[in-house]
Amino acid sequence: MKTLEELRKIREKAQQDMKLRNSNTRIKVVVGMGTSGIATGAREVMKALMDEIAKRNLSDVLVTQTGEKGLSSMEPVVDVVEDGKPTITYGNMTAEKARKVVAEHIVNGKIVNDYVVASE
Amino acid sequence: MQDISLHILDIIENSVRAKASLIKIEIIREMMRNELIFIIEDDGIGMDYNTLESAQNPFYTSKLERVKKVGLGIPLFKQNAEMCNGRFELESELGKGTKLMAIFQYDHIDRMPLGNMKDTFVGSIIGHPEVDFDIVLKNIELDGTVDEFIFSTREIKKELGDIPLSYPDVMTFIDQLMEEGIKKIKMEEF
Repeated sequence: MKTLEELRKIREKAQQDMKLRNSNTRIKVVVGMGTSGIATGAREVMKALMDEIAKRNLSDVLVTQTGEKGLSSMEPVVDVVEDGKPTITYGNMTAEKARKVVAEHIVNGKIVNDYVVASE
Repeated sequence: MQDISLHILDIIENSVRAKASLIKIEIIREMMRNELIFIIEDDGIGMDYNTLESAQNPFYTSKLERVKKVGLGIPLFKQNAEMCNGRFELESELGKGTKLMAIFQYDHIDRMPLGNMKDTFVGSIIGHPEVDFDIVLKNIELDGTVDEFIFSTREIKKELGDIPLSYPDVMTFIDQLMEEGIKKIKMEEF
């Protein structure tokens, strides 16, 4: 059984971690979770992103959800937001593509051009 | 939507868009009454009478940016419940919030599968750290035995302090906790 005690340990570890890094969020990943996004598999994309971030222990990446953005024909859509850089929007995402974006863009800093639908 | 868990995700997103700070979700399998019950309640901006009526109409959407003014989320969920000899109720008050209840005949041949509730819950919790979730899962068997799982992000956030929910170990923790809860009430059977 999971216990709150376990959470306290995670908290201690995380606090050490944050002290070392001295910064909070490096990259924000935003998944479009409107009705059409959900119907085309946005939840699986979200799941893949969370899974990769947990597996790779990327504690400086924040993954969140947002509503419809008027890109219905390209759903599921994922934004990668980084301070001082243009926001990259990936479209027609799948769980597999999302994993690739984590490995190449978020970890190695190389934009996956094949999946980009907008950049601003 | 292929299953109920995706409908629930859609409804949760509605609540978030309505600026809810707390979303309560209750899922109950009530075998004595042969019902599968879903209750989703939020403390968001709510709807006035006209909007409430329109929300159940497939040719309405609250999304201003939409060119085609069509919103299928609520009407489809309603249709799915009613198709299964069930009921659908939507109550709301401006400034107070919205409560939605969908009841399905549990063993109805046309009832959609429940689908992956864990992914719906975990994704929504991590994806909306500004919103609190109270989740109650209940299974009431024919002989009256009750299994229950209660989850509250408020408790978790209290323990975590300033550590974000999307911190890798925290995500894994929430995922596993939810999995345990789902097993405890035998939700895989639903």
